Amino acid sequence: MPIQFLETILLMTIVTYGARVLPFLLFKGKNVHGFVRDFIELVPIALLAALVIPELVTPKGSIVVIHNPYLWAGLLTFLFARFVPNLFMGIVFGMSVFWGLDKFLH
Amino acid sequence: MNQAVSLEIRKSFAYGLRQSLTIAIGYAPVAVTFGILATQFGLTFWEAGLMSFFVFAGASQFIAIEMLHQGATIWMIGLTTLIVNIRHVLMSVSVVPFFPTRTLPWSLGLAHGLTDETFVLNTKVLKEVVQEEDRRQVMLGINLGAFASWLVFTILGGLIGRWLPIQFSGFQFALLALFIILTTTSITRKNAMTYLLAALLAVVFKLLIPGKIYLILSVALAAGIGAWWRQRGHTLSIAGKRPNDKLNK
Repeated sequence: MPIQFLETILLMTIVTYGARVLPFLLFKGKNVHGFVRDFIELVPIALLAALVIPELVTPKGSIVVIHNPYLWAGLLTFLFARFVPNLFMGIVFGMSVFWGLDKFLH
Repeated sequence: MNQAVSLEIRKSFAYGLRQSLTIAIGYAPVAVTFGILATQFGLTFWEAGLMSFFVFAGASQFIAIEMLHQGATIWMIGLTTLIVNIRHVLMSVSVVPFFPTRTLPWSLGLAHGLTDETFVLNTKVLKEVVQEEDRRQVMLGINLGAFASWLVFTILGGLIGRWLPIQFSGFQFALLALFIILTTTSITRKNAMTYLLAALLAVVFKLLIPGKIYLILSVALAAGIGAWWRQRGHTLSIAGKRPNDKLNK
């Protein structure tokens, strides 16, 4: 196994496990407040936007609308998940729709 | 099974394990996809398994294998992982009060199993459990069920990807589908502006700056502006009682 891969896993583990375990070790039951709390609270939703929207809108590095299976599969998956709140079904739906559109739009 | 363990405690653990079933089933397709993609990006099935074992955080794992494939430096991957996983601090902070007399081994063990999904389930289930000792066992069961599914199905996906070179373009969409489904359950009127701002910034930065830096920049900026806006709204509102929950704008 390449050493670079082990280093990557080590670093990922440190930051991820660190975020999980520090409150267990340091907090007595108090909570964070103010700007820091709002900031951390908003990171997940901002992250979802940053992870998803650019991939849907600019899959190949420039903005595409019509011939873009990512965009349409994304919209359909969003609508599907609003009505069928099931993780497994949603993912299978998204993958299948994307596969179909990818064939159809090319 | 015939050991003289306290029946109560064993029941709590089994109860948690049963509760984790919905998560375990939901993780399966995502973990299989991760395993398949990891092998397609040149990792072995047990390297993929190793990552699932130690990191156990879906989104960051998908991003990491893609960045590894693109030749990103480990510091860039580490920084991105930090941004993607910093939210665990908040989940951890709000779970900790369930365990006022926790010991170090319990802290170290329970922390590792905290994910978006186990957090939501634990928060719901632990409220109903009276004894702290039982709560630990329930959370252990929930976390372990989810963790086992993630690990086993990662390895399964890795083996599938290795032995059957599948050409199914749907895999490219698995992670996006997961994020989109998470979006439908996490977007609210109070954070929608931050979502839109992050989306706009991310698209612009992605078009302007090569690499994955756009992720960190757009998330930090959008969450920073959103938090500043909330604080501002908070200080502007009457200096009276502060609503206890997230009622402040």
